[in-house]
This record gives sequence, C-alpha cells and structure tokens, in this order.
Amino acid sequence: MTAIDAAKTYTIPVGPLHVALEEPMYFHVDIEGETVREVDIRAGHVHRGVEYLTTKRSIYQNVVLTERICALCSNSHPETYVMACEQIAGLEIPERAAYLRVVAAEIKRIASHLFNVGILAHLTGYDTLFMYAMQVREIMQDVKETLFGNRMDIGAMCIGGVRYDLDAEMKAYLLAALDKLAPEVEALADTYRRNHTILRRSRGVGLLTKEQAIACATVGPVARACGLEYDVRVDAPYAAYDRLKVNVPTLVDGDVWSRAMIRVTEIGASIQLLRDCLRDLPDGPTRLPDRPDIPAGRAMGKCEAPRGELIYFLKTNGADQPERVKWRVPSFPNWDALRFMLRGAKIADIAIIVNSIDPCVSCTER
Amino acid sequence: MTCLPADIQTQLAAAAPGGVEYSSTTTPHGTVTGWCGLANSEDLLAVGKMLLQLGARLAMVSALQPPVPEEEEDESDEGASDAAKPEKEVPKTFGGTAIDGKAYEIDYHFLLGGDFLTVIAYVPAGGSIPSLTPLFRAADWPEREIMENYSLVIRDHPDPRRLFLDPSIDAAVLERLIPFSTLVNAASTKALWDKVLAAKGGAS
Repeated sequence: MTAIDAAKTYTIPVGPLHVALEEPMYFHVDIEGETVREVDIRAGHVHRGVEYLTTKRSIYQNVVLTERICALCSNSHPETYVMACEQIAGLEIPERAAYLRVVAAEIKRIASHLFNVGILAHLTGYDTLFMYAMQVREIMQDVKETLFGNRMDIGAMCIGGVRYDLDAEMKAYLLAALDKLAPEVEALADTYRRNHTILRRSRGVGLLTKEQAIACATVGPVARACGLEYDVRVDAPYAAYDRLKVNVPTLVDGDVWSRAMIRVTEIGASIQLLRDCLRDLPDGPTRLPDRPDIPAGRAMGKCEAPRGELIYFLKTNGADQPERVKWRVPSFPNWDALRFMLRGAKIADIAIIVNSIDPCVSCTER
Repeated sequence: MTCLPADIQTQLAAAAPGGVEYSSTTTPHGTVTGWCGLANSEDLLAVGKMLLQLGARLAMVSALQPPVPEEEEDESDEGASDAAKPEKEVPKTFGGTAIDGKAYEIDYHFLLGGDFLTVIAYVPAGGSIPSLTPLFRAADWPEREIMENYSLVIRDHPDPRRLFLDPSIDAAVLERLIPFSTLVNAASTKALWDKVLAAKGGAS
C-alpha cells in the first residue's frame, strides 16, 4: 500500500454488536484516515412488532405491555399511554395521584441519567468513575425496589391514577435516600465539570449546532445541550408539574460534555422536585374508584421521559382493543442528529458520541 | 398559554383549497390539541409549507387502516336483514374516501411549542401521497417505516429504503394476517413438532 492509498476513503462497520454499544445498531461509517466522513445508520435488529401487538391487547392490558417496551424509561411509556386514555375518556386524576406520578417519573429519571453518565466514564476508560456512578445509582435502584417492589419495571401507572401509595414510613425512607444521594451527585457533578480525562475526551467532541438540532427535530438533553429550551414538563405541563418549579438547565456548546452536564444537572433538579413533591403531597385517593370505560375517540399524550419528549397517539373505536396505538420515543429523531455529530469525528470517539444521545434501541425499533 | 395561533383554522383552510375539518381539545392543564382533516390528501404539501413557516416541528407520523365501522343492530329478523343487505352504503370520511377497511389514514403530528396539531390525510387503497421529507427532515424515518408496513406509496421520498425490516421480508406486513404459530415459529403450539416430523418424511 502506498502513501496515496492511505488518504483514500474506506468504509468500516461499527456494530451491530460492538463492545462499546449497549444495544445492537449498525453504523456504516466512511472514513478518511482516522476521520469520519459519512455515516449511514441501519436499524432493525431488535424490531419486535410491539405496535401491532397493542392492537391485539385490551386497552387495560396495554398499560402493562407498554411498560415493557424499554427498561430505562419503562415508567414513561405507560405514563403517556394512560394520559392519552384519560383524555379520550375525559378523566381528571386525583390530586394525590398527580403528585405520585411525578415522584415515580423523577425517580426513574435520576436512575436513567446516572446510568448514562456512568457509561460515558466507562467509554473514556475511566472505570473507577464508572463504578462510582453505578454505586451512586444503586441508591435509586434500592429506592425503586423498596417503593415499588421492582428495580426496573415499577408498574406504578394505571388509567385514572397510580397503583402505589406512600405512607409516612416510605416518605421518610425516600427523603433519607435523597439526603444520601444529593452530596454524592454533587461530587459526581464536580468530577464531570473538572476532571481532565473527562474534559479531554468530551469537550468539543460530537458537535451539534442549534440549527442542525432544529432540522433533525431533536428533543431532550441532546436539544437542551445546544441551546434549545424545550421541556414538556414546562412547555406543556401534565400531572402536577404546573404546580412545581421545574428547573430546566440549558447549555449552548452542543458537545458530548454539554449533554453529560445537562443530565448531571437534571439529576439535581429531580432531587429538588422529589423533595417538593413530598412536601406538598396532598391527601386523598390515589386513583379513581372504578375502572373507567374508554369510549371511541382519539388523543395525543406526551411527557418528558429521561431522554426527552415521548409522544403517544391513541385511537379507539369503542371496542376492547384500541384501533391504533403509535408512539415516538425521544431517541427516534435523535439518531438522525448523530449523522451531524459524527461527521469529522475521530474513529476512537464514535462510541462516546453515540452514547451521548443516550440511545435506546429497543424503544426506537419497538 | 397556547402556542397555536388563534386563526390556525383560517390559515389551514387557506392553505388547503380542498377543504379542512378542524376541531380542537384543551387539557385541564391548558395544552391544546388540534385536529385537521384534509378533504384532499394532495393539499398536504401546501399545508406542510404553511406549518414550516409557522415554525412547527414534525414530531411523528402515524398510519392506520381504519376498520369498517360496525353496523347498528338491525331490529328486524334475519330473513328481512338479508334482503336489505345490498342497499347498505360504505361509510365515508368527510373528504369522500370510503372507509372500507383498506383505505389509509395518515396522521401527521406537528408540534407548535407545546401544542399538538395533527393533520389527517385519507388515501384510498392503491393510492399515493406526497412525501414530506423534502420539507421536514424528520419525516424521513417515519415515512420509511410506513412504506415497509403498508403498501401505501409515498411519492418523491429521497431515500425509500427499508428502515427496520430486512428487504427479504415480504412487503406490507401490517396488511397481512400472520398466524400466531408462524409469527413465533410455533413456539406455543405443536406446529413446530409437525414441521420437524414433516422434514423427517412423516415418520413418527
């Protein structure tokens, strides 16, 4: 091979099974030397046909089914689905249920964000920090197991309210866990802010401009890291978010580090939201007394999942099964943004950049 | 704090000469959801251009084949209802597309700030609809997904490859009945056992 050959473009495969990717996704990468020129994303390795399945299950069974679409945002799926059901039936959930929905969502958000920033440390080769982040996350895993009886699929949502309640003992336990978590998260945030290993691998890497983010319709921390101020909890409040103060951090640089910092900052905001919820938690029932009938109609639901805006479209025709359930997960538009982020990146940074959108393949492909 | 312009209905009607059917609902939290049915699915591009100028974001595209609405129970006896059958009419959408269980309903879910605006287009079986991808980059994947799930034709899509399903899989999977035993490779019936026996030449 001559020196001239080395400057030519080559195509390399990344994935579908790759040591640095948590889930299968195939990237067809054109490289020139060490630099990425063009990326083609080929999906479909974990396509399961869940959307078809929802039309074969009853409206109530789908609360259980939608929770199994994803693991890290498992609570957001039934949360949005039941919101769409409640809109069609014209139901208003009890006050206490609205606050308990926020509690469940924010607990899941903290656990999800800690996982993602932990993986970033792992991909930079800083495994001590990875272990530390996962150890901190274990506090929230224990909280989920104690409050809901499960560490991932918490089964908290039902049409007309929630399926769990917090008594005084549980509230005290959750507050104690938050007190334990808060200083650890602060220490973690400090490390991500100042540690050289993290900064050198993530500052200025995987850039996405605000214009590109708008063109790709990106949502969640990916959009907020390049200056797009959009958070469903603020822009279209649901549950009890209109009565709570939601702190939405935004940054402008649009690199891997900014996306990680958004997540770390949001963990702190979620801890504050949980404390506010426990302080304001009203008394009363946690769900409507009867299992409501869902008449014919159509509705849209959306919520802020850990990865961003999650949308559900539900169409019913009075039958037991819904006519159509369709959802768009936050990762779905965010994949497209990767093509901008990876252009001009180094091969060694591919995994870090892919992880920075916090991709969820099982959510994307359903 | 609605983000949909107050005159959205007028603007939609002006963009779609074929006619629109507009309605909206508001959640107790104040979020508005607008629904805009198009009488002529060819008006989609003009409506898309108008919404692009308003700064709308295309969030999702859903496709479905609405089933034929169930008939109301006839009170007369069976013999009489048999005679009345040939006269029944196929129900139609307001734009005149017959809801025969084969026609497509395509819902384009736009977001303006926190408010939804869903533009609904109806296409009869064998029909086609223009692609929104040249206007909205975010329509690329959803339209590719619709093309692999249904036999609906989306015209002028810049990259009409399969998205999730392998090219070797038959087209329009959501329009075919796939027996459950085939779907799960007979994991829950004796069909797999029958297949094994058949492969052995029928020996038991």
